[in-house]
Amino acid sequence: MITISAFRWVPDLARGHVRDLRVRWALEEAGLPYRTRLLEQGDQDKDDYRALQPFGQVPIFEEGGLTLFETGAIVQHIGERSEALLPKEPGARARAIQWMFAALNSVEPFVMNVALIDLFYTNEEWAKLRRPGAVAFVERRLGAVSKSLGEKLYLDGDRFTAGDLMMSSVLRIFHYTDIVKKDARLAAYAERCMARPAFKRALDAQLGDFRDAA
Amino acid sequence: MTITITAFEKSPDGGKGLARDTRVRWALEEAGLPYQVRLVSFRAMKEPAHLARHPFGQIPTYEEGNLVLFETGAIVLHVAQHHAGLLPDDADARARAIAWMFAAVNTVEPPILDFMTARLFEADKPWAEARLPLVADRVRDRLKQLSARLGRADWLDGGFSAGDLMMASVLLRLRASGILDEFPNLAAYVARGEARPAYKRAFAAQLAVNAG
Repeated sequence: MITISAFRWVPDLARGHVRDLRVRWALEEAGLPYRTRLLEQGDQDKDDYRALQPFGQVPIFEEGGLTLFETGAIVQHIGERSEALLPKEPGARARAIQWMFAALNSVEPFVMNVALIDLFYTNEEWAKLRRPGAVAFVERRLGAVSKSLGEKLYLDGDRFTAGDLMMSSVLRIFHYTDIVKKDARLAAYAERCMARPAFKRALDAQLGDFRDAA
Repeated sequence: MTITITAFEKSPDGGKGLARDTRVRWALEEAGLPYQVRLVSFRAMKEPAHLARHPFGQIPTYEEGNLVLFETGAIVLHVAQHHAGLLPDDADARARAIAWMFAAVNTVEPPILDFMTARLFEADKPWAEARLPLVADRVRDRLKQLSARLGRADWLDGGFSAGDLMMASVLLRLRASGILDEFPNLAAYVARGEARPAYKRAFAAQLAVNAG
């Protein structure tokens, strides 16, 4: 049985946005059952958890003798087992993985630059001064993703892949602002991904775990 | 099938090996694969022909027959999955090596990149002084965690893998700042990466383009 780690409690604004959501979504797309190992706040810094996750983050993925950390790697690993996430044809598969990396290395860091300002440093003077430049930068990146999407349903054509799972998860970080929403094409794409039953089940499961723990 | 990658016609780092094509060159050298390089100017990078290969207008790209890829991590993983030399055979060890690749690009590199940007490109901005210490501390937090995990081992998980290739490449960016040397085991880890014959060949190849 697959076990993933998640937090028992996070602040309200983080609920529905913790990284285990991406892994839950991938598992739901792949049709793989899983259970959760819920961490108390502080457990992530204890030695026994750090032995499994050196950065003290969630989620980790455990199955048999294998323990994996890093959301992208876990989704990749699940994708290796499920064509629902990574197509069989080698070219299409490589391109799906390419979009995962693009989401994680070329888009998310710049989304987070803005999100950190908005969520944690709103009142700092440096944050106010820096925000316009950070927004302009991420808008260029998002514009490039939008252009690359073009009229296609998903980033590499008609079918959803792990690349879309990761990119739409990154776009969703901006749920609180209009930065994605004002690009109609990109917003529709994100909506399309989030409308998937597997996403809804994953989100319900994360929120449900917080509810049950309360 | 011939492999062609793109690289800067003139790298902004003047050949220090920090441009991302070095990572792909290194992977190709580890796998023993010959490759061709097409150099692109800053102007050409933003023109339609290159943008069709790379939506963000960057280097490197990777072409092999009909397959065109961008995104360094994806290219290195593609090379690693299809050729020997970069990933272990055992399935679990392979997954763990890939985990380190993702950790390098999504957990360790973002604060480092942010720090480099703050230090090199935003140093004269009005917010730089207040922000730089925060950014530097985020880098140190990550390096502390990584250093604790590496401990006295040579590589992150058993033998050298694509995970180490990516992590060492990400850490290399920090050397000039002095932060890397605050963590002797990480500095030694990066030096071990640089000492690999495949890295040396990759470094020399990019230097030949950018020297002079």
